[in-house]
Amino acid sequence: MTEDIPANPARKALRLHREMDRIWSDLPGWRGSLASVNHSTIGLRFMATSFVFFAIGGVLAMLIRAQLATRDGAFLDTALYNQIFTMHGSIMMFLFAIPMLEGLGMWLLPKILGARDLAFPRLGALGYWCYLFGGTIILASLLLGMAPDGGWFMYVPLSGKTHTPGVSADVWLLGVTFVEISAVAAAVEIIVTILRMRRAGMGLTRMPLMGWYMLGTAAMMLVGFPPLILGSILLELERAFDWPFFDILRGGDPLLWQHLFWLFGHPEVYIIFLPAAGVLSTIIPVFARVPILGYGAIVAAVLGLVFLSFGLWVHHMFTVGIPHMALAFFSAASALVAVPTSVQIFAWIGTMWAGRVELRLPMLHVIGFFLTFVMGGLTGVMLAMVPFNWQAHDTAFVTAHLHYVLVGGFVFPMMAGITYWMPMISGRFRVRALGEAAFWLILLGFHGTFFLMHLTGLLGMPRRIDRYPGNPEWEWLNLVSSIGGMVMAAGFALFVMDIGMQWLFGRRSHRNPWRAETLDWAMALPAPPYNFASLPGPRHPDSSAILPLARGEGLLPGSPRDRREVLVTDAGTGRPDHVAVVPGNTVLPIWTAAALGSFFLLMLAGLYWLTPLAIAAILWAGWQWGGFMGSPRDAAPIPVAPGLSLPEHWQIRQTLAYSGTVTLLVADGTLYASLLFGVGFLTVIAPNWPAPESGLGLGALLAAGGALLSIAAATLAARLAETRRDRPTGATAALTGVLAAGLALALLGVLAWQLDDPRRHARDALRGVLLGHAVFHGAVALMLGLRSLCDARQGRTSRLRRGAAPVWQLFQAFWLATAALSLGLVILQEVG
Amino acid sequence: MAWVLRMLAGPLLWGALFSAVYALHGLGCAWDWPARATPAGPLHPLAMILLWLAGLALHGALILWNRADGSARQALLVRAGNWIGAVASAATLFPVIVLSTCG
Repeated sequence: MTEDIPANPARKALRLHREMDRIWSDLPGWRGSLASVNHSTIGLRFMATSFVFFAIGGVLAMLIRAQLATRDGAFLDTALYNQIFTMHGSIMMFLFAIPMLEGLGMWLLPKILGARDLAFPRLGALGYWCYLFGGTIILASLLLGMAPDGGWFMYVPLSGKTHTPGVSADVWLLGVTFVEISAVAAAVEIIVTILRMRRAGMGLTRMPLMGWYMLGTAAMMLVGFPPLILGSILLELERAFDWPFFDILRGGDPLLWQHLFWLFGHPEVYIIFLPAAGVLSTIIPVFARVPILGYGAIVAAVLGLVFLSFGLWVHHMFTVGIPHMALAFFSAASALVAVPTSVQIFAWIGTMWAGRVELRLPMLHVIGFFLTFVMGGLTGVMLAMVPFNWQAHDTAFVTAHLHYVLVGGFVFPMMAGITYWMPMISGRFRVRALGEAAFWLILLGFHGTFFLMHLTGLLGMPRRIDRYPGNPEWEWLNLVSSIGGMVMAAGFALFVMDIGMQWLFGRRSHRNPWRAETLDWAMALPAPPYNFASLPGPRHPDSSAILPLARGEGLLPGSPRDRREVLVTDAGTGRPDHVAVVPGNTVLPIWTAAALGSFFLLMLAGLYWLTPLAIAAILWAGWQWGGFMGSPRDAAPIPVAPGLSLPEHWQIRQTLAYSGTVTLLVADGTLYASLLFGVGFLTVIAPNWPAPESGLGLGALLAAGGALLSIAAATLAARLAETRRDRPTGATAALTGVLAAGLALALLGVLAWQLDDPRRHARDALRGVLLGHAVFHGAVALMLGLRSLCDARQGRTSRLRRGAAPVWQLFQAFWLATAALSLGLVILQEVG
Repeated sequence: MAWVLRMLAGPLLWGALFSAVYALHGLGCAWDWPARATPAGPLHPLAMILLWLAGLALHGALILWNRADGSARQALLVRAGNWIGAVASAATLFPVIVLSTCG
């Protein structure tokens, strides 16, 4: 039982620190910075880079406000204005908000949960480089004057090739998809870290609320992002290859894009809000000096929000002509979601009421949150009502509402979080008064900008217009908003200056300056790269254990085997399960991101014939990742504490990688479900169906049947490769699986050859995507099969060690299930 | 972890029911079900009401029998999950009994 884990003997803290620092630190120099995979470094990079994008998005906002300050604004021409408002929205949503929350999660979670690093350090680094490359592509397009200009939601047919020729829409589609890959990687990382790397003895119901919030956020990212990834792929296929998913004349429907976009877009609001709410739930009890009120109610509210937020997306489409009953479903859900949000608001107010609030700078930002977000929530309930929505749709009222929600529900809490954790980041106190001045400028500037914008909208001013010469009654309102915007910008500049001053000139902070209880403060300041010299367990549950942990009295002290070791625990109870060895500094993530980036750039340039080279580079990089995953020998259990030794992860089936694969397949399954939704939607709703007859010949049916049988055989072989891993037949099974997977891929190719031209009708295009999905997963399964075969041949498997076979089986099973559905659907469409 | 699955059961049931009723709504409109009469009224609203009621009955069963044996907090969260799902299904899908289907 975890409650009985005895303490390790105390050692000299400084010696232990040097031992850990040698193993966990980033390499020196700029080359070393490219090789870092440490969660603190990567998390801070995410946050710093997102703040740069926030500044760029803010400058664009100032340009918009300058243009709208007078009714005949001549500051920007219409074409440039369109690019600027599109880029402002896209940058703020995709390049600021999401990476900011990812960065906070990556940086904070291991600390607050009592771990040394994230579950997949290289994945975190890959996510960062993908984000940087994707963001840079999008930003470069602005500098080159070919930025996206169709709005941040890229509605078709406006964003189709006919109405948006050139590459501006492709930049958005490819760049955003690149960034979303980064987000899905972060979501996998965060979920596995929360479930499997909490301190020993920390059951889920004892987890800090931040853990629950980030778990909910990451789960939503896992399910919310794939619909947009699919939508982006479909739209790019239409733009690049004329596959008509959204072309109404050939069986497509523009509304499919809106559904896929808002299936992502509305949960996105809660994806942004939940981590911010986690920050509030962490900070408020610290400054109120009482425990949070209603822990269980808050967790239940998070649960409610996570689910309900997926039932709201159509409220962005209330004016597109959907039947009343469907509108009513989504209207009711949109109103209902206010309930769990309110539960949290009341819990926070109750906590402050029960305690004695110290109005320090982070709490000022918390007050800013309350003043702003509650108003945004209330206008949200107004917009959830269909009759009001019809009147206010696409007016400045909606612009005001969304800024109250996003700035109130994300920016203010994030500023609270940054000012709260800055002593841990910089090891310094802040310089007095600057932060307060910044807060008041931002608060007054924000409400000065957006409060009156509600009225501007109610007076009928549409969004996204660059001039309003016939409406002088809007002018003074816009002028006041523009002045407010400039005040707010000055406030943000001062905020950044405050952070910089703290980093450079603040006096040294003592440990735990806020007297918080959570484990993130149980370490020296600034936080060392390994977080804890010895890991907290049941005897060291909070920040008071700072000295025993530094002296090595916790679990798994030091790094005596000269490698980065972390403790993996049971997902539910927090019982210690095994010791995982995580990778150290490596440039592989940046090379992998470069390979992925080259694929996107080649697509962007229209050099499709060169993309196989990029795909080969991606496969090469993927193969290199597997090199770390395996051990040529069995190892003795590792001493964690007196009387407690645990096996290494290579000798365990339910490894972090296994959990990560299961998590990834949830996202993958959601993407596939979104594709099935697309098939169903077009088949039932879109005009110009049924598709022209084609008739599947015997050859196609045989190819489909043969492919399915081959995939089933490969799945069985993957199972045998694991169960017979300590016998020579294990390698034979792996070889059989690889050959069967290869045969299946070949037969899928034959089938694709026999189908009709995907450009003919949306049905044919959907078939192409279904087959492409099967081929892509077949390629991944084949890679894993080859890795298992190498494991078996190179002695990396034994009775204890399983190599890549368990993960291969997971992918095989997924491939089998989705391919069977896809092939069944192709045949069924023909019968129907 | 069994209690986590129990906690998720109610919201997951809501998700499945919401999707099913919404899909049935789309299919019924496409297949002209409102024009098809049954002894209990037009086929389309009838099918959706029956599906909704069946879902509510399942929610009732969860509230009655889906409990956790662990700590008090686990039991609270499982109960909360049951009720969140039930209230969400009742509140978001009640339009099936008050509105015309495809207008």
